[in-house]
Amino acid sequence: MLGGILRGKRTVLRVPTEADLDGFARWAADMRVRGALTHAYWEEPATRVTWKERLAKQSEDKGSVMWAVEADGSLAGLCRVDFSTGPDAIPDGGIGITHFTIDPDRWRKGFGWDAALTLHRWIFDIVHARSAHTSLAAHNEAALRIARRLGYEEYARGHAVHYGDGRYVDDLQLRMELETWDERWGASEREYPDPLGAELEA
Amino acid sequence: MLGPRLQGERGVALIPPTLEHVKRNWEWMTFPETTRFWGVRTMDLRPEHAEERFKKNAQAPDQVNWTIALDSEQVGMTGLFDINWITRDAESGIFIGRHDLYGRGIASEAIRLRTRFAWDELGLRRVHNWIAVRNRGSRRANEKAGYRQMGRYPRSWFRSGQWHDEWLGEIFAPGQEPPGWV
Repeated sequence: MLGGILRGKRTVLRVPTEADLDGFARWAADMRVRGALTHAYWEEPATRVTWKERLAKQSEDKGSVMWAVEADGSLAGLCRVDFSTGPDAIPDGGIGITHFTIDPDRWRKGFGWDAALTLHRWIFDIVHARSAHTSLAAHNEAALRIARRLGYEEYARGHAVHYGDGRYVDDLQLRMELETWDERWGASEREYPDPLGAELEA
Repeated sequence: MLGPRLQGERGVALIPPTLEHVKRNWEWMTFPETTRFWGVRTMDLRPEHAEERFKKNAQAPDQVNWTIALDSEQVGMTGLFDINWITRDAESGIFIGRHDLYGRGIASEAIRLRTRFAWDELGLRRVHNWIAVRNRGSRRANEKAGYRQMGRYPRSWFRSGQWHDEWLGEIFAPGQEPPGWV
């Protein structure tokens, strides 16, 4: 599936289109992105025809959702989540962050944080999922900072899991609970900030 | 099935949908303004999926689909679904994609046209639906057409810090009302 409009403060998550594929392809071939060593990028470098097939396949896949991240009016990243038990059972299970990429030419501008917060608003405030989970390479400090600030906690560490740049690195498995979201962000990060009153029930 | 053209009042009409209408409706369903009482904004937006769905709906003998037009411009969709031709019962649905036009009575007129078609052309006996209780605009539009509450489904879904109940409504064709139905 493809995800609809989610507005953050500095970024917008929106439906990815074929016009975004050149950007996706560029990041897949960028060693700065690949150096994150986990599923930071979506798929391997490939021909344009293959990228189009991948987008069509993603649109059809009912077990996952992908968004393009836009900032300052242009493509700035992508993110993708999946459900462990099928879309009909989203609220009963956890949602996994499988891919999260920000254009490496636009790193350190706060877009990653804003897009991540917006994505988690969808997970917890719209879908009302019980938990979210992801895994990150231990040296991916920028991503880890975002995850910890959101409220993720490490529940497992795989030793020497990923290999790149001539060395092995650990894999951190992280999980965040709905209660943590409510506690940290529930007061400020509502998709619909104004609750609907009982007068509407009349 | 695709419904025929039904001209209503104040520029509102129900018209047969086109593939382009389907794609436009799906695009509208990706916006926060239209989905407070709708799904979680995830769609299969492949053009071939839209074509498949449009063809399937057009061929389905148990549903009637319309585009809602205002002054000949598409603003949403409505329909009668899961038609049981034996009990002559159906479920109704409506979606206004142009959120800037909410509150102008477009849904009320569309529901009136749809309901009259259900009785006068399809010979249906009963139509029912589900609406979020706090979606007062949609609920009132249905009530204006004659729908009555048959029950409430509590805590149907949770969004943005609130549980939402569903209003279950039903309407009967004139003269088909069961004893005691108000």
